[in-house]
Amino acid sequence: MTTLITTIFFFFGAFFILVSAIGLVRFPDLYARMHAVTKATSFGLLLLIIGTAIFFNTGAVWIKALLVAVFIYLTAPLASHSIAQSDKKWEKEESEGN
Amino acid sequence: METISNIALLPIFGMLLLAFLLAFFRMLKGPEITDRIVAMDMIASVTMAFILSYSILVNKAIYFDIVIVISLISFIGTVAVSTYLKQKK
Repeated sequence: MTTLITTIFFFFGAFFILVSAIGLVRFPDLYARMHAVTKATSFGLLLLIIGTAIFFNTGAVWIKALLVAVFIYLTAPLASHSIAQSDKKWEKEESEGN
Repeated sequence: METISNIALLPIFGMLLLAFLLAFFRMLKGPEITDRIVAMDMIASVTMAFILSYSILVNKAIYFDIVIVISLISFIGTVAVSTYLKQKK
């Protein structure tokens, strides 16, 4: 039963990562691409981490899974914000240079 | 502890490999440098997913530590490159 639940979690996590990679290639704009990539880091990886924790089901793995999930959810918005800010500055300087 | 058969893990590895190839294509092609940073972030996520799947495949929980380290290093790398771009004249 545990292996079935783990397989379902892993299948959906890998599926969402694949969908966000397709979005990374197909979308036309930087902001749309960032919108697609956020799905992979937040939703797909969360499903994979929960699946791994359910599969091993020991205290240390659950604590590590909680640590990684909290860290990803805290730092993904910071990284996205930093990328968008640098892109805005980059665009402004390019238009001023020309 | 029972193990998952390799046949169940095969499509998961296939999907992750395809996602890695698509992100790598975007990293090679990306018109702006910020697109490349986004693709690099995506590649770090796909690598973390690969290592989680591999830890299920070989049935060892010690591989979870690699995921912690990659999540730390990927965040620091993304912030470092974008801060460098922000301060560049």
